[in-house]
Amino acid sequence: MPEAKAPPVTIAEMNVQIQSAPGMEDLRKNEVVFDVDDVTVSYEGDPAISNVSLDVYKNLITAIIGPSGCGKSTFIRCFNRMNDLIPSAEIDGHIEYHGEDLYGPKVDPVEVRQRIGMVFQKPNPFPKPIYDNVAFGPRVLNMPGSLDERVQHALEQAALWDDVKDRLKRNALSLSGGQQQRLCIARALAVEPDVILMDEPASALDPIATSRIEDLMHDLKRNYTILIVTHNMQQAARVADATAFFSVDRTEDGGRTGVLVEYDVTHKIFTNPSDKRTEDYVTGRFG
Amino acid sequence: MRTSFQEELDRLEATLQEEGALVLRALRGALNAVDARDSDLADEVIGFDDEIDRLYVQIEQGVESLLARQTPVASDLRLVLAMIHINLHLERMADYCVTIAKLTKLAPEVDPDPHLLEGFDEMGARAEEMIRVALDSFASRNLEGAESLMQLDELIDRANRRVVEQLLALGAAPEMREYGLRMVLVSRALERIGDHAVDIGEQTAYLLTAEFREFTDASHPAPR
Repeated sequence: MPEAKAPPVTIAEMNVQIQSAPGMEDLRKNEVVFDVDDVTVSYEGDPAISNVSLDVYKNLITAIIGPSGCGKSTFIRCFNRMNDLIPSAEIDGHIEYHGEDLYGPKVDPVEVRQRIGMVFQKPNPFPKPIYDNVAFGPRVLNMPGSLDERVQHALEQAALWDDVKDRLKRNALSLSGGQQQRLCIARALAVEPDVILMDEPASALDPIATSRIEDLMHDLKRNYTILIVTHNMQQAARVADATAFFSVDRTEDGGRTGVLVEYDVTHKIFTNPSDKRTEDYVTGRFG
Repeated sequence: MRTSFQEELDRLEATLQEEGALVLRALRGALNAVDARDSDLADEVIGFDDEIDRLYVQIEQGVESLLARQTPVASDLRLVLAMIHINLHLERMADYCVTIAKLTKLAPEVDPDPHLLEGFDEMGARAEEMIRVALDSFASRNLEGAESLMQLDELIDRANRRVVEQLLALGAAPEMREYGLRMVLVSRALERIGDHAVDIGEQTAYLLTAEFREFTDASHPAPR
């Protein structure tokens, strides 16, 4: 006797899941790392950015895009108090970091810069051995545990360990541009930050080195919160979960200042932006 | 301003409209061939499809090149995506015109029921109107015009049902049965051309609103 055929799987029994692209409401489920409230930064009294408010969420990549002069770099430098180092800079408004006033009187800017690391446009390793570049921060901060392990872990996280493990004593300047930039990322990671700020981290790199940095960012966001300033809109479209578009506005006295135009999930910014200025910028009709 | 990019977009859209105009000619030819049972005209319609296919491929290649080189975003991206779909819908409409022409040649020589030919006339006129409305509302970015295709589709669907009823009443003689079978497929092809016009309307709505939605829900049809 032939075996009875099993009844067909009903549609209701099929495990089919269709997920739509996440919206801003989905990103808001993440913890707020920075709560930026009505921030204005001025140099010698002239506002470089005005009245910026937004929340930055944990374990996401947030991109800041906009034309030259819109204050992208000024804005990202607020998060690790880099603007403090410019005597004429003045900051109004509030930035809370995990609920604490980042500019409160008891906050130590050096500790801030340990928790909130930064990677710059041009790789800027110290002209020292590779090992010492990564070990520098933990040594200065007198961090506990094995220094060797800490250096190795940071280099592994920066996807550089396999490239350099046999030549840790070589001068960092002997590395390629892309490797130097990953070394700078390792240097930032070695002090166990919570946030990594990246100011045009791939603009000096070739496409292959750029894609390695972008892959690295994807891996790093599991453990870190990343903010990236980029001129390369496709890079923002590729890597970022959320994107903030800044533009330049005229001030009442005829000057220019950067303003936040739109902040949304990256998918929305690049498919259906809400503001015409964003649309004009991302489609290349302005800027 | 990306001048050459804008020019390429404009050129592609103009070619798409040109393709639409060719589809209208193919449909008119197919309808005349059915009406006059003209085998030569049917052959002409079948051969004419190569012209439409040529434009179809030209648009496909244009879109491919634009996506590869210009990475369109936002409304530009929606326009390019809409053009990919509309191009395919127009090409399918042209294929239905070929189907009608072939069925005309295959149908046996019987005296056609005049009511039936009137029914095809009505369906053909409605299909032509729908193609025009679909192309015009896309060109003028007219959401209301695009949405009006839903009502027009209801009219062509009704005409289709009437034609089918007339075909069922043709009788049981073998020749009439074969004729009826061929003509029911002609009717179906015209009705499908209307559906593709509605789909073009949906693409126009997507371009304008950034939200894709089906105008009519096949699994939950509105009560007739």
